[in-house]
Amino acid sequence: MLGIYIHIPYCRTLCPYCDFVKVRTKTTVPEAFTDALCSEIDAYDGPVDAQSVFFGGGTPSLVPPAQLERILGALHNQFTFHDPEITLEANPDDVTDELVQAWKDLGINRISMGVQSFDERVLRYLGRRHDVGGAERACEIIARHFDSWNLDLIFGAKPIGAWEATLQRAVEINPPHIAAYGLTYEPGTPFEKRMDDAVDPDTSLELYKELERILADYDHYEISNFAKPGRASRHNLVYWNNGEYAGFGTGAYSYLDGVRARNHSSLEHYLEVPGEKEEALTLTRAEEKVETMIQYMRLHEGIPRADYETRFGCAIEADYGVALDALVARGLVECTSTHIRPTSEGFYLNNEIGLELLSAVLPE
Amino acid sequence: MDQKKIRNFCIIAHIDHGKSTLADRLLQFTNTGDVRKMKEQTLDTMDIERERGITIKSVAVQMNYTARDGETYSLHLIDTPGHVDFAYEVSRSLAACEGALLLVDAAQGVEAQTLANAYKAIEQNLEIIPVINKIDLPSADIESARVQIEDVIGLDSDMAVLTSAKAGIGTEDALEAIIKYVPPPSGNPDAPLRALIFDAVYDSYRGVVIYLRVVDGAIKKGQKIQLMSNGLKHDVTEVGVFHPEPEIKKELGAGEVGYMICSIKTLKDTQIGDTVTDALKPAEVALPGYEEIKPVVFCGLFPAVATDFNELRDALEKLQLNDCSFEYKADSSDALGLGFRLGFLGLLHMEIIQERLEREFDLTLVTTMPNVAYQVTMPDGEVIIVEKASQMPSAGDYELCEEPYIEADILVPTEYLSTVIDLCKKKRGIHVRVDYIDKRRCMAIYQMPLSEIVIDFYDILKSITRGYGSLEYRLIGYRPGNLAKLDILLNGESVDALSVITHRENAVAIGKLLASRLRKLIPRQQYEVAIQAALGGKIIVRETVKALRKNVTAKCYGGDITRKRKLLEKQKKGKKRMKQIGTVEVPQEAFMALLQLDDD
Ligand SMILES: Nc1nc2c(ncn2[C@@H]2O[C@H](COP(=O)(O)OP(=O)(O)OP(=O)(O)O)[C@@H](O)[C@H]2O)c(=O)[nH]1
Ligand code: SF4
Ligand SMILES: [Mg+2]
Repeated sequence: MLGIYIHIPYCRTLCPYCDFVKVRTKTTVPEAFTDALCSEIDAYDGPVDAQSVFFGGGTPSLVPPAQLERILGALHNQFTFHDPEITLEANPDDVTDELVQAWKDLGINRISMGVQSFDERVLRYLGRRHDVGGAERACEIIARHFDSWNLDLIFGAKPIGAWEATLQRAVEINPPHIAAYGLTYEPGTPFEKRMDDAVDPDTSLELYKELERILADYDHYEISNFAKPGRASRHNLVYWNNGEYAGFGTGAYSYLDGVRARNHSSLEHYLEVPGEKEEALTLTRAEEKVETMIQYMRLHEGIPRADYETRFGCAIEADYGVALDALVARGLVECTSTHIRPTSEGFYLNNEIGLELLSAVLPE
Repeated sequence: MDQKKIRNFCIIAHIDHGKSTLADRLLQFTNTGDVRKMKEQTLDTMDIERERGITIKSVAVQMNYTARDGETYSLHLIDTPGHVDFAYEVSRSLAACEGALLLVDAAQGVEAQTLANAYKAIEQNLEIIPVINKIDLPSADIESARVQIEDVIGLDSDMAVLTSAKAGIGTEDALEAIIKYVPPPSGNPDAPLRALIFDAVYDSYRGVVIYLRVVDGAIKKGQKIQLMSNGLKHDVTEVGVFHPEPEIKKELGAGEVGYMICSIKTLKDTQIGDTVTDALKPAEVALPGYEEIKPVVFCGLFPAVATDFNELRDALEKLQLNDCSFEYKADSSDALGLGFRLGFLGLLHMEIIQERLEREFDLTLVTTMPNVAYQVTMPDGEVIIVEKASQMPSAGDYELCEEPYIEADILVPTEYLSTVIDLCKKKRGIHVRVDYIDKRRCMAIYQMPLSEIVIDFYDILKSITRGYGSLEYRLIGYRPGNLAKLDILLNGESVDALSVITHRENAVAIGKLLASRLRKLIPRQQYEVAIQAALGGKIIVRETVKALRKNVTAKCYGGDITRKRKLLEKQKKGKKRMKQIGTVEVPQEAFMALLQLDDD
């Protein structure tokens, strides 16, 4: 079943580390964008059974409820939903009781909050629009309205010493889901010039272990994701299972029928020809196999042997025997009778797993 | 062509004094070649020559010039390289000429290769015309250049032509001087053919193209010729001259310089310095040839991917068709597998060959640290030549180890003399003498182990003299040296391709430097890597590359899974450029770690 991704490319302020597709807006998301988005959805003609919707961005909390309603309406026209998880990313500053109630009324049942830190200095370093007070207030509102919600955190930002306290605070707030990503200094962003601030891999590992230690009560089900029982993100699991998804909006990716495609990432272009692809790549079987493995290896559970066999018609060992032996010898992977899964070392050195697997199926 | 109207000359100078630029002006002035194809340093045609702005191969061009006396002359020009590694190219070219334009950069004055090349030309009895070039430069000092030409080289500076090759000043004066001072060739047109092979190139369309200078007789298409060195006979299929594009001629007469194509298939069958004669009417005595040139620097060359070995062998074969001045033979290394051992005339030569192999043949190569060849006498009196560290017997297993020595002429402004003397001492130099050549400059003459010169001496000299120091050297033989093999171990295993031969006194310092550079070059990997340097089995230094503990794309790529895979693929390609030695992945640069100049 499909996941559906909607990209809302607008933010109030632009965070200097961010390399997502977005532009600034002084107010809310313009109606013209919603028009384009709905026309793109209307033109969709692909598989229809869907299990999740994810409003990402950018800042989807800047879409006025009336427009959200139009978008969801368009989606309902096209897709058949099966008990869908519908997530919306929100900036703490935008969260009010009134707006949250409106989201609920529209059927949105999960919120992902871009909090990033509970330390004022870190928020300023990251150039975030909200402050600690705003974040706490927003969490309180969300927690009152939603059973399922996520708190986004970033580690590795200065001062790095603030990480432990941020984690402690997060645990006190006790969200059902936490995602923690390491700060990266991406080319083309203002942070590119601050590359020297980046923490070394040893420090990064310390911070990561602190995360694992303090969130011990959560299920560390994916490298960067922690959930209370039953609260894992169903939408993101589509990605980690290398499943199919339909993406709408500026720069959104889709993966349908073996084709990985991307919408135009220029907003002007998108508004003019909504849904036109910037690139579309038909994956070879070998590419699909290795991408599937790489994605699953981000999950604590790893890949069920049966899933691989059903999907590709052969045992995992037939494709990855030698690579798996090497990975097991390196202590990065464990093979059980039902699963192939990364060890905790395999989480820390996850790219090493990917590299080894790549050599197995894509020699040269 | 009337022999009296022929002038053969080459342009010689220190590196960068403007030879190729002056050649441009001469071509332009005489309307030689296609104007549309003219660019700066037209005769530097190889990619590497153009990128580096230096001449590597000599080039011969024929020009027609109507002089002020109203007569039209046929001029054969040879542009030569200035870099010391290519000195043999200059020697060869000189033998095809009666005269030389000796360029002196008016701002730099006489430098080491100005002298060296001038002496070579004098030895060959060439008429030398001093040319003071770059007179357009604000820092030009024509008077002092004149004084140096008189006092240092011993030429009459009244003859000197003043030019700016860049601005096109003095071009005609240079041409007139050639007509006036360079004697026409003196060979006998009626004698049996004798032509000197001074170069040969391999052209993938035309096969072997032989550059020659006809001394006696004439050579023409259809003629049966004979090579005097081996007696082999061939049919001439084409003769001509360069403009610089080849132009087919009916014949090349006595005194002319041009090319010949015959049934010779490979450059290996062509000996530079050989004499071509008429097979039916052979000459009795061959022309004096050239001294054979021998490589002085050796290094290992291995394909980064073992399966590319055959491709590398083919590439070497093909490249040698174009440059027979390097040597190669098959070699193997425990660490790097099958590859080749190559010999070069110098470090620049080595860099260029390596670059051409990678570029023209699309190969990825691992090069090992260059070294000189040592002569080691064994207890039974046998002398072995050691061309790589792993061949070096252990101390105590041999009687005597000798290393090649050179005598260096180092030309510097006097204020840098003491710094240069310090450098020479540090490089185990033996002081011979210092000549004061004029008020401002002197020449320090030192004997030094070649091994101390080949690596970075020239660069250091340049930097400590603000670019004013220049160097010329010649081999003077082998001398005993207190040498030792420095072994490098990775995780306790000795790696043959990383070990080096050093002077025992420097061994600890070099071991430390090498280990610390390796620590920086070897990327962190899943397990810690121990780097050790050992001398005679004793560990003298240890460095550690810490284990890589975290390597994960923390970023959420959303749907962009393919992008992530591609990033990993890129990373994997990077790894492929590394050599797996035991469990350690070693980047190619590590094998040349000592060559990096940044001093830490
Ligand atoms: N100002 C000035 N620059 C010149 C003149 N002649 C040459 N140059 C510059 O000097 C540099 C070297 O010129 P080349 O003609 O390549 O020198 P070269 O002697 O052929 O060098 P090698 O072949 O490498 O030994 C180039 O940057 C030229 O533009 C001149 O008369 N005046
Ligand atoms: S709010 Fe989110 S999408 Fe917008 S700039 Fe900041 S990090 Fe990027
Ligand atoms: Mg030149």
